[in-house]
Amino acid sequence: MFEAFQNALGVFPESLQTFIVIAVKIVAILVPLLLAVAYLTFAERKIIGFIQVRIGPNRVGPNGWLQPIADAVKLMFKEIILPSGANRFLFLTSPVLAIAPAMAAWAVIPFGDGMVLADVDAGLLYLLALTSLGVYGVIIAGWASNSKYAFLGAMRSAAQMISYEIAMGFALVGVLMGAGSLNLNDIVQAQSGSFLHWYWLPMLPLFMVYFISGVAETNRAPFDLAEGESEIVAGFHVEYSGMTFAVFFLAEYANMILISALTATMFLGGWLSPFQGVPVLEQAFAFVPGLVWFGLKTSIFLFIYLWLRATFPRYRYDQVMRLGWKVLIPVTIVWIFVLGAAIYGGLGPWFD
Amino acid sequence: MITLADYLVLSAILFCLSVAGIFINRKNVLILLMSIELMLLAVNFNFIAFARYLDDTAGEVFVFFVLTVAAAEAAIGLAILVVLFRNRGTINVTDLDTMKG
Amino acid sequence: MGFEKFLFYLFAAILVFAALRVITVRNPVHAALFLVLAFFNSAVLWLLLEAEFLAIVLVLVYVGAVMVLFLFVVMMLDVNVAPMREGFIHYLPVGIVIGLIMVLEMGLVVGSDFFDADHFAAVAAHPADFSDTKELGGLLYTQYVLPFELAAVILLVAIVAAISLTLRRRPGTKHQAPAQQVLVRSQDRVRLVQVDSEEKQ
Repeated sequence: MFEAFQNALGVFPESLQTFIVIAVKIVAILVPLLLAVAYLTFAERKIIGFIQVRIGPNRVGPNGWLQPIADAVKLMFKEIILPSGANRFLFLTSPVLAIAPAMAAWAVIPFGDGMVLADVDAGLLYLLALTSLGVYGVIIAGWASNSKYAFLGAMRSAAQMISYEIAMGFALVGVLMGAGSLNLNDIVQAQSGSFLHWYWLPMLPLFMVYFISGVAETNRAPFDLAEGESEIVAGFHVEYSGMTFAVFFLAEYANMILISALTATMFLGGWLSPFQGVPVLEQAFAFVPGLVWFGLKTSIFLFIYLWLRATFPRYRYDQVMRLGWKVLIPVTIVWIFVLGAAIYGGLGPWFD
Repeated sequence: MITLADYLVLSAILFCLSVAGIFINRKNVLILLMSIELMLLAVNFNFIAFARYLDDTAGEVFVFFVLTVAAAEAAIGLAILVVLFRNRGTINVTDLDTMKG
Repeated sequence: MGFEKFLFYLFAAILVFAALRVITVRNPVHAALFLVLAFFNSAVLWLLLEAEFLAIVLVLVYVGAVMVLFLFVVMMLDVNVAPMREGFIHYLPVGIVIGLIMVLEMGLVVGSDFFDADHFAAVAAHPADFSDTKELGGLLYTQYVLPFELAAVILLVAIVAAISLTLRRRPGTKHQAPAQQVLVRSQDRVRLVQVDSEEKQ
């Protein structure tokens, strides 16, 4: 199949060929991603249903498996309502601004050894820059809606995202100190050995801080103050309907998958097999491709996301700020010092 | 081939635009702050262009410091603006003509 | 005209347009968004100059943090824009004249023979494994370590200044004070009073 593809490619001129190859790769990443997003919403309803001793959606298709398709079709055919006094251009651009960074960030994530769309040197920096752009969709949506609730949601979200970005960045500083590289493929390689060589162990506080601030960055429960359906109705997207709402929804879930995948890459060894270095099991599971391990590790964090949502009540606004500034940031700063000493002393088996 | 002069002209245009912006928006502190940011951006352009064409990374180091100072300046400037608005209820430059707090 | 030159002119044109809109647009929120556009295009142009690290840092720091702060403040302060636009037409000629004079002066400097292609021939592109980040890091932590420390101090001062300027304790807000709660003793709260029973009259 691969050869047939290369033969078909031969008819195009040289410069167009690279373009086509890249486009095909992008499609190969985004289509499964969007499917994953669709079925993540289904998984969310089923898992939260299970936790609350309900059944969850079970009407559309066998066991409700076609529910996300039905939801998508419904949202597509709904009318998009423009609120009076809204800024038309910004109102319609902001969903795009929300989803674009969540998709673009996947360019540097390694799915297997060297299986990455753009193997850039400063991959981690690129990720930080892109994840910090997601806030624009929220702010502009809130402002352009010309609605008090939407505006409150946008303001909350702006403050929250800026605060947690710092903790997130510091946690990543620890990772790049350990790996000595900004390239994500190199970061995964630096963790190879066994599952004890992964960075979750020497960087346990950073790992936890990273995931907590990741939950806060994606505006998920218990940090969903930007939406807060019981206090400010639905926050920044209260005026959105139909497809524009669906795009915000997609962006939120794509961001969840992104943060989970990043946590798996930085702290759980990405596509490395968990049985690496274990005598018998390593051979027994050698046939499993790295992509599967990567997907499994990502799923663990996605499950934790849903678990958190079903378990914790929402934080109050001042509590969110206090947690970010007075707990997470000091913890990361202290641990970066500890890590610096460990790396300087060549603490094995991670930094020798 | 892009020459050094291209970048210098671009940054000169940017700088002049921001100076003109300070003159024509002299009543709105917010736009004044934004014009200053634009000015610093134009300066950074020069630094990076020279760093590239003289093959000397020191220019990029300076950009790094300019970015740091500009971020600090923006943070303090906006903080002052918020306090100003809280106390006076306006950020119109013409209303801020007393020396008394 | 090569592809690179085409990219340069494209992004330079958008950059100049965005900068022009920043200073002429009526609504400060739109001005801030145009400034974001300007920063983005500058980042792309810096990529053309092979300053990858700084280009990404520009997006990270400016677009991701400083401009969000700007937007936050612009949206929060419920500013009446109309009176601030009053002088716009009045000052416009002055602004244009000054801008043109500066363009002329800078044009004379930049257009002189000193900056032509002969003096500053383009340096060969760096090899593919060249890391701008590594280069910059090497300089920052050796030759420029003291300025680097100074920059850190400046940021610290900025944090302290911003917090101390905007922090206010409003009376009437219901905060908990755990320290005082812990220190409380039963004598402070409850007073036992001995009251003699009285005879019924």
